[in-house]
Amino acid sequence: MVTKDELNYLRWISRLNLTDEELEKFSEQIDETIKYIDVLETFHSESSSVDLQELDLSDFREDEILEFNGDLIPYSNLTPERLVKGPKMV
Amino acid sequence: MTDIMIGLEIHCQLTSLKSKLFCGCRGNYRSSKPNSNICPVCCGFPGTLPLMNKKAIEQSAMISYSLECKIPDKLMFYRKNYFYPDLPKNFQITQYNVYGLTSIGSHGRIKLNDSKVIKIRRVQLEEDPGRILYAPGIAHNANYALIDYNRAGVSLVEIVTEPDFSSPKEVRFFLNKFSSILEHIGICDTALEGAVRCDVNVSLKGGSRVEIKNVNSFKEVEKALTFEISRQTSLLARNIKIKSETRHWDEQRKITKVARTKEEEQDYRYFPEPDIPLVHLGNEFSSHIGKLIPELPDQRRSRFTESYSLSDQVSNILINSKKLADFFESCVKIYASPVEIANWIVNDLLGLIGSEEPTLLNHIKIKPSHLAELARLVDEGKINRSTGKQILTKMVETGQTPSQLLSKSESSRIIDENLISEVVEQVFKTEGSAVNDALLNSNAINFLVGKVMQVTKGRADPKIVTQLINLKLTQSRG
Amino acid sequence: MSTLFNLSATEASRRINEGNLKAEEYVWSFIERIEKLEPKLHAFISFNKENALADASGIDKRIRSGEDVGSLAGIAMGIKDNISTDGIKTTCGSKMLENYVPPFNATVVERLKKQGAIIIGKLNMDEFGMGSSTEYSRYGATHNPWNTDYVPGGSSGGGGAAVSSCECSASLGSDTGGSIRCPASFCSVVGLKPTYGHVSRFGLVSYANSLEQIGPICRTVEDVVLIMNTIAGNDPKDCTSLSSPETPLQINPNAKVKSIALVRDLIEGSDPLVSKTVYDALDKFQDLGIKIDEISLKSVSFALPSYYTLATAEASSNLARYDNLRYGFSFPSEGYEWNSYISTVRSNFGDEVKRRILIGSYVLSAGYYGKYYLKARQLRSMLRQELLSILTKHELLLGPTMPILPFRIGEKVQDPLKMYLMDVDTVIANLGGIPAISIPAGYSNELPIGIQLMAGPFQEQKLIDAAFIFQNAKKLSTRTPL
Repeated sequence: MVTKDELNYLRWISRLNLTDEELEKFSEQIDETIKYIDVLETFHSESSSVDLQELDLSDFREDEILEFNGDLIPYSNLTPERLVKGPKMV
Repeated sequence: MTDIMIGLEIHCQLTSLKSKLFCGCRGNYRSSKPNSNICPVCCGFPGTLPLMNKKAIEQSAMISYSLECKIPDKLMFYRKNYFYPDLPKNFQITQYNVYGLTSIGSHGRIKLNDSKVIKIRRVQLEEDPGRILYAPGIAHNANYALIDYNRAGVSLVEIVTEPDFSSPKEVRFFLNKFSSILEHIGICDTALEGAVRCDVNVSLKGGSRVEIKNVNSFKEVEKALTFEISRQTSLLARNIKIKSETRHWDEQRKITKVARTKEEEQDYRYFPEPDIPLVHLGNEFSSHIGKLIPELPDQRRSRFTESYSLSDQVSNILINSKKLADFFESCVKIYASPVEIANWIVNDLLGLIGSEEPTLLNHIKIKPSHLAELARLVDEGKINRSTGKQILTKMVETGQTPSQLLSKSESSRIIDENLISEVVEQVFKTEGSAVNDALLNSNAINFLVGKVMQVTKGRADPKIVTQLINLKLTQSRG
Repeated sequence: MSTLFNLSATEASRRINEGNLKAEEYVWSFIERIEKLEPKLHAFISFNKENALADASGIDKRIRSGEDVGSLAGIAMGIKDNISTDGIKTTCGSKMLENYVPPFNATVVERLKKQGAIIIGKLNMDEFGMGSSTEYSRYGATHNPWNTDYVPGGSSGGGGAAVSSCECSASLGSDTGGSIRCPASFCSVVGLKPTYGHVSRFGLVSYANSLEQIGPICRTVEDVVLIMNTIAGNDPKDCTSLSSPETPLQINPNAKVKSIALVRDLIEGSDPLVSKTVYDALDKFQDLGIKIDEISLKSVSFALPSYYTLATAEASSNLARYDNLRYGFSFPSEGYEWNSYISTVRSNFGDEVKRRILIGSYVLSAGYYGKYYLKARQLRSMLRQELLSILTKHELLLGPTMPILPFRIGEKVQDPLKMYLMDVDTVIANLGGIPAISIPAGYSNELPIGIQLMAGPFQEQKLIDAAFIFQNAKKLSTRTPL
């Protein structure tokens, strides 16, 4: 059961604003989905191993400089000193 | 106070890498204008993927190796999820050991001295976030936080110790030793701004743990700890319970203060990074890393005391800085008198250039060949020690060789007997009455000695002068 | 009005390369088609009309001067709007990226352009790939060309609709849990989800990185081969991409398909009309001399819950970056505090995306990680082992693509769980990392039904062989709605 409190907590750690109606509606829908996923408990994997793609160290990137030429951040988001404007930290 | 427990969490950038950890932007961002050392990958643009820098793995493994850590044969990366303006993806790619050992190093140790060992819990490789700048003095009034992503994605190694330290002094020893190791491996220039950062955990009498963040250089760590311990001690004395909290070290005011809460939740929801496959290092990797590591401080110190017969104390001072130890060995290569040269460096040179900052060795003008020459001149008796010390000062100031300085300052001792004989001859001719006095009264010889010294501007060896004058007087009597 | 749009991409690029067809004329036929049909279908979010014509005219010039333009010369490609296109808005069907113009091309787009392909527009999709009907697009739903009251499937619904109605020569979609195959089935076209790692994901806006692949949606199997051979192959910009087999995919009219095994567990629980179509297909394969088997895949029972656990977990993290500081939509941060700003900005996600982010955070949170996420990963490994083992004995597996027929727009949108359950046949291939193709197999009341074939890792050639002979036998690819 996903309670409203739990949903509020999830909402906070995901940084999503929800109206009261949304909280109500999502609470039901998400609860239903979690109940469905709960079936995982009834299955037992033969081993605890997990399949993972593997790559040799030698196949990864060399330490070389590759500059990106282009404007990444919209001019409107930058100060004259080229700093990105973000909301203040309290 | 044996009931102090201190643990460290050190972050050091891999400053010698050319590029960042996951993209080709420059690893050294310090000379770039804000937000110009960036690309879609390190700024977390949609659709971008991390491209692991394999040299970063090698270098972080070198740190693990030097801390005697276990290095795994496979490496995994995890996502640490939290929201913060300096974190472009709002998650950090890092390492995590809870579901099995997957970080680049674990279960290591450093010996502080014969009786104290500090255990290293883990070494991990991760990406540095960007930087949030605050306009000086008006942070809480500003309408914006200002963000620079130049540093985002730079390779960072995190080293976490067990809370084995019992005093700020031990921490200082450790950090000196660790800096020295880093210097010897050559992968982190600790003098660069922001290259090393330290978080410290301290608790007294088994009480709550306080974390101090934002200690931006190794030098500040001891100060921060000393302050915090005294803060906690005085609270305890008044029976006030210590709160388990995060504090910040205010370098300006030299105090710790309660931190703004960064994230109220501690749940980082770690899970394996799906865009980076398991890195297969293989079981030869550890020995391969061992071969890459140059002689480390402890080994070097042993070699100094054994091969060069230096005292422990002198060796310790020399290996405290790799550059100093290198300088010493360069001198010895030119003139094989290690004990003498070591003494010149430890007793005299350091006093002149400052032992606090051996990095000044970079900018000094004196060369190993110069010091070697000085040592040889003194050893061979061509100049005396006090003269040598004077010359050394000049050598440090001007960068000139001893010979250059001696020919100018005319302070080298003349021991050439023929040369002195000539001068004695000369003086005998001009000081006839003094010679007669000396023939009658052996004490009056001093006047003649004085005259010879005057002519040679004090450089003649007084013993030889006296000998030759006596000889000449004897011949005259004779 | 021109009917050049009816040509297969393979045929059209051949004629353009030979100089028998002008690329500009060919592209014009699609522009007319789009302008005529879009009011009914709404398959596109962005229309690249001017640049497409300019590019086409450039192709013609180069061909005239004897240059080698490439195997996709003049082909008008629709690109799903979660695949990055340099200079062309890429919204992922979301308001969060309303203003976002990527400063780079996805690798697959680079490779297409290098072979002379032209981008005619960006295709509509469920927001960030989350959905099976394209109704979760924040730019309005796409309509199924076979009956415009019905959904085209999703999340690459725009691709399914545009390709089947000839609004473009071919398209690229992405498939995380069925998002290429579902619209292919609902719109009666061919859709291939390649082996995981076969096609570079660089430039694909991530929804669930360990599950998704970019793949072609085309009218014919030949066109799928043409597109795949262009986009597939190892990419140094994607660590998870692997090397292709040495031989490119081919059309083998005389290919020997040994056997096909029906997956019993997939057909159970399907709509009877769907089951009938699958059994008819089996009969057809048997008529063509192929041995038919029947097998059981036990892992089907936990495939869907595992999929939704893993996909939502990865999504919750992949979508954290949308804080509107570096890219996004117009919403200045002045005066806001950090947490308040990003929570406000992120309320611009649609309902389904919000739900999946919340579920994803839940299954990763402390205390639940072992119960859900870790468990799902272990079960995923088990599923993959079972699949690989079965695929050593049976080279092809058969089942329905979707358990139901296309449904009316609005019918399921209020019931997320019902929507999730539709993916039961498709998620297996994503979890197993194996290739799967959906091919048109029939209609019921003019609503298309597709069948799905799966094969072992990098065995796309086997899929192509079987799909090709089936296509020739059924002759469904010549039908065009509208």
